[in-house]
Amino acid sequence: MATENPNADGFGEVSRVRGIAFEYLSFGASVFGLVALGVLLVYVAIDAFDLANASPEWLLTYFLTLVVPFIVFCLYSANDRDVTRRALVALGGGLVAVAVLFSAIEALLVPIPRLNWQLAYLFVVAAPVTAYLAYVGSGGRVGAVGFGLLGRLVGGAALGLAVGTLFLVFDSLVWFLAYTLGVLPAVGLYAFGRVRESPRARTAATPVGLVGLTAAVFLRDVIATYPSDLIIYLWTIAVPVAAAGALLVADRRGRVAAAAVGGVPLAAATAGGFLAAGAGLPAPTVLLAIALTGVPTAVYVSRVVDGGEGLAGLGLPLLLAAGAIAGALIVEALGVPAPNPWLDASFLSEAPSRTPSEAGLYPAIVGSVIIIAMVAVLSFALGVGTSVFLEEYTPGTGPLGTLTRILQVNIANLAAVPSVVYGLLGLGLFANLLGLGIGTAVTAALTLSLLILPITIISAQEAIRSVPDDLRRGSDAMGATRWQTTKNVVLPEAMPGILTGTILALGRAIGETAPLIMIGAATTVFRAPDSLFSRFSAMPMQIYTWAGFPQADFRYGVVAAGVITLLIILVGMNGTAILLRNRAERGS
Amino acid sequence: MASSHDADTAGITRRKSLAAIAGAGALGLAGCTQSSDGGDGSDGGDGDDEISGPINIAGSSTVFPLMSAVMEDFAEEYPGVDPDISSTGSGGGFSNFFCTGDTDFNNASRPIQPEEEELCADNGVEYIELIAATDALTVVVNPDADFVDSLTTDELAQIWKSDPAQTWDEVRDEFPNEEINRFGAADTSGTYDYFIEAILEEEGHTSDYQATEQDNTIAQGVAGDPYAIGYFGFAYYFQNPDQLKALGIDDGDGPVKPSLETASSGEYTPLSRPLFTYPSIESLGEEHIAEFARYFVEQTTNEDLVAGDVGYVPATEETQEEQMQKLEDAIEQAQG
Repeated sequence: MATENPNADGFGEVSRVRGIAFEYLSFGASVFGLVALGVLLVYVAIDAFDLANASPEWLLTYFLTLVVPFIVFCLYSANDRDVTRRALVALGGGLVAVAVLFSAIEALLVPIPRLNWQLAYLFVVAAPVTAYLAYVGSGGRVGAVGFGLLGRLVGGAALGLAVGTLFLVFDSLVWFLAYTLGVLPAVGLYAFGRVRESPRARTAATPVGLVGLTAAVFLRDVIATYPSDLIIYLWTIAVPVAAAGALLVADRRGRVAAAAVGGVPLAAATAGGFLAAGAGLPAPTVLLAIALTGVPTAVYVSRVVDGGEGLAGLGLPLLLAAGAIAGALIVEALGVPAPNPWLDASFLSEAPSRTPSEAGLYPAIVGSVIIIAMVAVLSFALGVGTSVFLEEYTPGTGPLGTLTRILQVNIANLAAVPSVVYGLLGLGLFANLLGLGIGTAVTAALTLSLLILPITIISAQEAIRSVPDDLRRGSDAMGATRWQTTKNVVLPEAMPGILTGTILALGRAIGETAPLIMIGAATTVFRAPDSLFSRFSAMPMQIYTWAGFPQADFRYGVVAAGVITLLIILVGMNGTAILLRNRAERGS
Repeated sequence: MASSHDADTAGITRRKSLAAIAGAGALGLAGCTQSSDGGDGSDGGDGDDEISGPINIAGSSTVFPLMSAVMEDFAEEYPGVDPDISSTGSGGGFSNFFCTGDTDFNNASRPIQPEEEELCADNGVEYIELIAATDALTVVVNPDADFVDSLTTDELAQIWKSDPAQTWDEVRDEFPNEEINRFGAADTSGTYDYFIEAILEEEGHTSDYQATEQDNTIAQGVAGDPYAIGYFGFAYYFQNPDQLKALGIDDGDGPVKPSLETASSGEYTPLSRPLFTYPSIESLGEEHIAEFARYFVEQTTNEDLVAGDVGYVPATEETQEEQMQKLEDAIEQAQG
């Protein structure tokens, strides 16, 4: 080696070949993986939205009404001449480059199936440039406001739908009693204690809440008449959310603004709920979606108006909505043939069918959402509990320390056990021995929680281990007990890492098929599950079945639509978890 | 400063509006109550003529498309009923779910076998056998394989027996000297059992092949290899006739190609086979399950559904009548 040559004068010479080779090898590895994934996603998207049949006129119309205004908005927000110039060069140059290159490949080498150069341009140039501009644009005040508002609209609606889905299974009557008798008095007492500085009221809150919850469970069957579901959701979710929004605003902007921020969305949600009930739509879900979208949006708008900066950003949702409507009108007026996407409203709201065009995923979506919600709670509680005990409470030396180390090795090995084995465990332990039923949602949730438990434990342990010992010693030196140290120092510091591990593990759980087959989950159900003990199907099960159907439309279009739905829900779930993690990071 | 007049109007308006809201709320509440058994009673389910309850079905992946098509229509007609179906393979369904009393029906692409009968008897599960449809087990090769159009049953046995021919020219002299690549049903599948029974008998099935429960995988494998051969149920070939070439089977009376006609007329031997479903007698005691069983037997002659949508041969009126009689007897026995 050149550096170790004792005869060399001065610093000698170091070969840079290996370094350069390594750099390009790692670059090649990442490009290979990402390009392969990208091609897969592009084709799935083309199949799901039937883009192969989209005429160039149709693509052009929506490009002009939807994408171009969005790009202009981002450029306006970024307000940077350099970025504008580069974006225009990329979009224009990309158009020519893709058209020429694509035509050349098709003419000289091989025809590329189900793609044309317009689509290739959209996926290869327009989408990345738009994403980049969205990133740059969000740096400006206007862009930040626009994306913040958009995020609250989309996130609120998604949250409303998710909560509505959970209430399909969980008994809303118990929840009504629990909220009225337990949660409300407890929160009321706690707030009273905070305001009047009465510690007695604050300490009384927990026991009062517990008594209320117990009473709710016992009174569930005793009380004969309840308000309708719509009123229950209004009273237990929409009203408290609106009140919380109003409280947030009240401090800074006074009562009128607070009443508007709480009242307007509440009124809209109530009206929407009753209208939906009249129109035969699922009224409670509509109510929840409007309330959970409206209140955060109203709070945000009020805050932005208060700040007085980036007000133009508030127009972004309007801009996009207007673009979509204008595009639809133009397409309609000119009679441009529109593609017929597999992934449409009826796919999301209908039951499976033998005819590809009528097939839907609704029961499986509900099944997956319910399972994943339970898995998230269970695996987080079990994982954090186990890792805190192993890291903070077990001794590092002596026979107990050895035992802990043996446990550690075994947990790491469990992470590599094939998922079928967990399925068998679930079938034997939960379904048969504990009698939770074959193929029920609760059996599936427990089985999947066990499946990802090793991953959550290991990542949570890593996170806890990375909290510097100095912090613990400092807390000890202040006279804190071990419980206080864990609660106030270790867990808040470790929380971002713990959440990251849980996010990754949940992503695995939602896509699992093998353990579900073993515990006897249904391949196809025609109704959404209505209790934790009803048989259910999950998205991967239904998608796997469709992939085996003889009709080509199932194997391409319907499967692709299912995959995209699964991905969207996965992204939504991960997005929520990442928001929580970022908040935890900011907090610590 | 607001004038006192303004304040007055505001006060009245507020009071009035409060009263109005309270009135509307009271009215609303009065019309918006439900009883403690949950639900707003919109879907019914408790009515006298409405049947409701879950129906659990598992079993053969071959019968799966037929059964799920019937279930789809039944679920649409009876909103109170909650049917579900799992595609587990005939044997998997019997041993893991049906004979342990966890499912109401088990679909099978071959009759129940002695060890399964025993398991059911040990657990006290009684059942009857209903014929669901007729399938023409289809042997396929690559569409580019011009050298072969039909095989005799003996040649087929040479390809698939436990000590199989390695190259095509071992089967027939004019075939090319190329290796045979086999794609077939996995051993949990009723299709596998039936193929042994009809073609191989005591010679046994080769283990030198790609085994799968998914017809799609067999089709992909055969479509990608000019010297491959595979077999599966008729439905896949029926929906994708251009992707693969179905071979005629010569059972001594000249080659017969698989089709709905040859299978129902009985010419396509020995590979046309009945498909079954086994309802548990105890489950037939529940009205909604009995109703579903009747509905299913009625649908077995529905040509649009069985032949058009799924690709099997519908039952004859005669068979249907027999099955219905058998079913009614069982229902009577169960319901007392």
